[in-house]
Amino acid sequence: MRKEFWRNFDFWLYGDVVILCVFGIVMIQSALAGNLEVSVNSQILYVGIGLVLIMVLTLIDYHYLESLANLMYFGIIILLFALRIFGEATFGSARWLDLGFVSIQPSEFAKTILIIRLAKYFSDNWNNKHDMRWIMKSFLLTFGIVLFVLLQPNLSTSIVLMVLWFSMLWVSKVEMKYLMILGIVGMVFLIILTVWIFVSPDTVPFIQGYQLGRLQTFFSDSTDETARYGDKYNVDQAVISLGSGKLFGQGYGNGTQVQLRFLKVRHTDFIFSALGQEFGFVGTIVVILLLLFVVLRCLRAARLAPDMFGALICYGVATLFFFQMVVNIGVNLQVLPVTGLTLPFVSYGGSSTLALTVAIGLVESVAARQEKKEEIV
Amino acid sequence: MINGFNKEKLDFKNRRFLLFYVAMFLLILYYIYRLVMIQIVQGDYYLALADENRISVVREQSTRGIIYDRNGVVLARNVPTYDIVIIPAELPADDGDVQEIYRVLSAKLDIPVNNGEINNETVRLYSECGTDFGITQIVYIANSLTPYGETGIVCDVPEQKAMEIQELSVNMPGVGVRVNSIREYPTGYNTSEVVGFLGPIPGGIADEMEARGFILNKDKYGYAGVESSLQNLLSGKNGRRVVEVDVAGLEMRDLEPPLNPVPGYNIKLTIDVRLQEVARAALLDTMAFYNRVNIEGMLTEDGAAIAMNPQTGEVLALVSEPTFENNRMTRYIPAYYYQQLSIDQSKPLLNHVTQVAQPPGSVFKIVTGIGAINEKVVDPDFLVHCPGRMFVQNSYSPNDPGSQQEYVCHLRTGHGGVDYIHALAWSCNLYFNKVGGGYQNEVPNGLGIDLLAQYSHALGYGEVSGIELTGEEMGMVPTRTWKRVNRGESWATGDTYLASMGQGYISSSPLQVLGSFVTVANSGVHVKPTVIREVLDERGNVVLPFTPTMLWDITKDPKIMIFDEDGLETGEYKTVDPYVIDLTRQGLRMVPQPGGTAEEAFAGDTHQSSAKTGTAEYCDDIANEKGLCQFGNWPSHAWTAAYAPYDNPEIAVVVFMYNGKEGAYTAGYPTRRIVDNYFLLKEYDMERQGETTSPLAP
Repeated sequence: MRKEFWRNFDFWLYGDVVILCVFGIVMIQSALAGNLEVSVNSQILYVGIGLVLIMVLTLIDYHYLESLANLMYFGIIILLFALRIFGEATFGSARWLDLGFVSIQPSEFAKTILIIRLAKYFSDNWNNKHDMRWIMKSFLLTFGIVLFVLLQPNLSTSIVLMVLWFSMLWVSKVEMKYLMILGIVGMVFLIILTVWIFVSPDTVPFIQGYQLGRLQTFFSDSTDETARYGDKYNVDQAVISLGSGKLFGQGYGNGTQVQLRFLKVRHTDFIFSALGQEFGFVGTIVVILLLLFVVLRCLRAARLAPDMFGALICYGVATLFFFQMVVNIGVNLQVLPVTGLTLPFVSYGGSSTLALTVAIGLVESVAARQEKKEEIV
Repeated sequence: MINGFNKEKLDFKNRRFLLFYVAMFLLILYYIYRLVMIQIVQGDYYLALADENRISVVREQSTRGIIYDRNGVVLARNVPTYDIVIIPAELPADDGDVQEIYRVLSAKLDIPVNNGEINNETVRLYSECGTDFGITQIVYIANSLTPYGETGIVCDVPEQKAMEIQELSVNMPGVGVRVNSIREYPTGYNTSEVVGFLGPIPGGIADEMEARGFILNKDKYGYAGVESSLQNLLSGKNGRRVVEVDVAGLEMRDLEPPLNPVPGYNIKLTIDVRLQEVARAALLDTMAFYNRVNIEGMLTEDGAAIAMNPQTGEVLALVSEPTFENNRMTRYIPAYYYQQLSIDQSKPLLNHVTQVAQPPGSVFKIVTGIGAINEKVVDPDFLVHCPGRMFVQNSYSPNDPGSQQEYVCHLRTGHGGVDYIHALAWSCNLYFNKVGGGYQNEVPNGLGIDLLAQYSHALGYGEVSGIELTGEEMGMVPTRTWKRVNRGESWATGDTYLASMGQGYISSSPLQVLGSFVTVANSGVHVKPTVIREVLDERGNVVLPFTPTMLWDITKDPKIMIFDEDGLETGEYKTVDPYVIDLTRQGLRMVPQPGGTAEEAFAGDTHQSSAKTGTAEYCDDIANEKGLCQFGNWPSHAWTAAYAPYDNPEIAVVVFMYNGKEGAYTAGYPTRRIVDNYFLLKEYDMERQGETTSPLAP
């Protein structure tokens, strides 16, 4: 049993994650460039814990999570609620919960928990009638968490959570007309929001001035060219960093934009640009392929999952990875406004790394319990 | 294992799943396309931008050369000004300490700790040294722009304040005193026209100057005098370092070997500031006197004087009155002051010695005289009859009967029979009219305009002298062709008559008049006038010693073109016979003596002076406006040229007085005063330094 069990463990996925994490550490080391507020050691620690966590979670049958799903769901809501009251605000929003020995970002874990909770809902109610009531229930389930994340405020994570919900809905055989209705409602909502923002930006709830600013900088090209601060400067520097790497990059630890700190938040949001300058086009393509491989292995696990709950977990994790990766790289490529979403496993961040390894742990747990049809038959 | 789970599978063959994969694939493809565009196609462009970020060219200002007079008196120097600066990155970490520093600075320098609101608009309008912001706001902006750079909090503080802050700054990390250099002219107005002034680098040559390493908004550029003409010698070369900087502006390393600034050369001028003062005083006193006694109101406040050593061409004094006050333009050029200078009718921004040409009048007669005697138009002893007035047929061509025109001598009763020497001594108009243009049977063939022009150029008229002052005026020596082209008329006999006595179309700058007298004084040697005595490096070593430049010797170098019988150019040249110059020198020697035109101005002269006076009628825009140009009674400029002593001239002077009426008086008296004072100074220097050293040398 033991031997057979590990035979189904997805070593490809695990290996890929290890490579990404190690590469991330290496890149963070270079990207620090004299930034004393961040230590690469803590990232090494989190990656170590995370990689062990994947193994541990693989051993635990993911079916136990189903019974824990509600507990975790309400647990994270309470945590997020506590954040409203005790959280320390940085950069205009309260995201960090100081537990004394370590600060964590509950919203990162909210993504993983929502995947589990939604997977439970959709697999439990798979055969119920897929009417509007059914859809709204799943929406309210999602919104329970989104509301508190919005209150932080944390628009980008809220969007991630909504995307997770919609992706589940997408594959749940909901009739097209309902999706159309949802689409129209969503459009109307967006239009109202846009008009609201244009008419009186100060009264819009859940959206902070800096978020509007990010949108404005993205949609306008007129800015002060000489400014050495602000989002416009940051994304411009990101593209300059990427481009100046050319085909093979300027070499590890030699990227001028990185080492002379023209590139800002280079260990988190813009780590893709940092590696782009030091490792060039070759480096960026390799990282994209490595990340894409994670997504594809998760989808493979979903396909081979023994049941709907497991399949939806794997599918949700794949969506999460893909979405975060696309958004983060999109910001670096100047095709999306600045969001603050991390590049999975590569960006610096304890909570993000832990939450994502937990997600991978779940996928491994599902993969380890896959049905080997060829062996059965 | 655990039952009750939905064993149904996700349908991966579903169309929506397919859509999911396709969307994923397309997105990744688009990103790869973007990466190819950014990293491969536009890679070089972005690399250039990245280099622009990190590579910074630092220029260190060099120091401008100092200007001295011939005796080492400082005419232009650099003096420090002080700015109080803060380097934000070096301020203490503790906010309380920073606030304490702000409070101390605020109390000492009378600047608020907090003032003004930081927003996009006010930050854009912010400029160092030109802001109402409090210290906190300035440091806030500086910290985001150049945290490692010095930012001025208060600029141009008195030296005393700067020293106080300097002492206090020992206990105030991040606070310092920046020393800038501005130009100061200790002799000020007195030497303004020679020294000049500085201003911003003009827009037209900004690119070129920047390429040569000048800092556009910081370095200055010479606008007049030697500050302008010797700009390249004085300015030196700025240092240049190509450094790699980080985002905060901290220099990381040199990317190229650094070039240190090269200071400008120091210049010792030929000007003797004492004689310069004498010349200006002589002009101003004479103006004041005649302005007061003139019954028709103010006569003039516009004049020029120049004194030169004829043997070497060294300009000892060069006064253009009125001029500008260069010390008022050292920090910046006040707009109202510049405006005032620009619209002044007397044109204080022009150097009246070199940049303004006027009719020379009778001082030009030496040209006609030398020409006529050298060409043997008349014998020097031949007595030309001067009846005081005469009528001449003014013909435009040999066959043109023309019209009668009256020519008068300044002595209406006439000089009677006049030979060459006395014609010069008495400045007899009709003598020069006749020998210049010819008169009936008495002087059958005059010198003629073509030859007159030859002798004019040989004596320096219509030529650039080459003095080291920019914008030299060439004056005008008319020719037949010139008149035909510009006036649409043929040359007439009358034009030659007028030209013969320096009237009509002829014009020249005082420097050119001086040039012609220097040539005569030197018995034919025409020297290049110069204002540069020595060029010194920053340690005081002479890098360019003084060497007088002889341009030509009219008695040796053939400068006069020979015309054939038909008046056509032969292309051959001849010289001036030395005896002609000698006769002219004799004539000029008689001018200051009893009976000569400068008799009164040079009464009691003990320096064997020679001179020539001139009263040149003119009618320009200013005179026309005042209604002064009445026929037969035009206003006139006053001229006097002189040199001394007769045997071995060592000083030559020209004084010009705009609208000065009588040359012998309004120009004659200042000339005399300058000559006398030159010898006084020479005596004084000899007494002081012993007679072994040469006159006027330090």
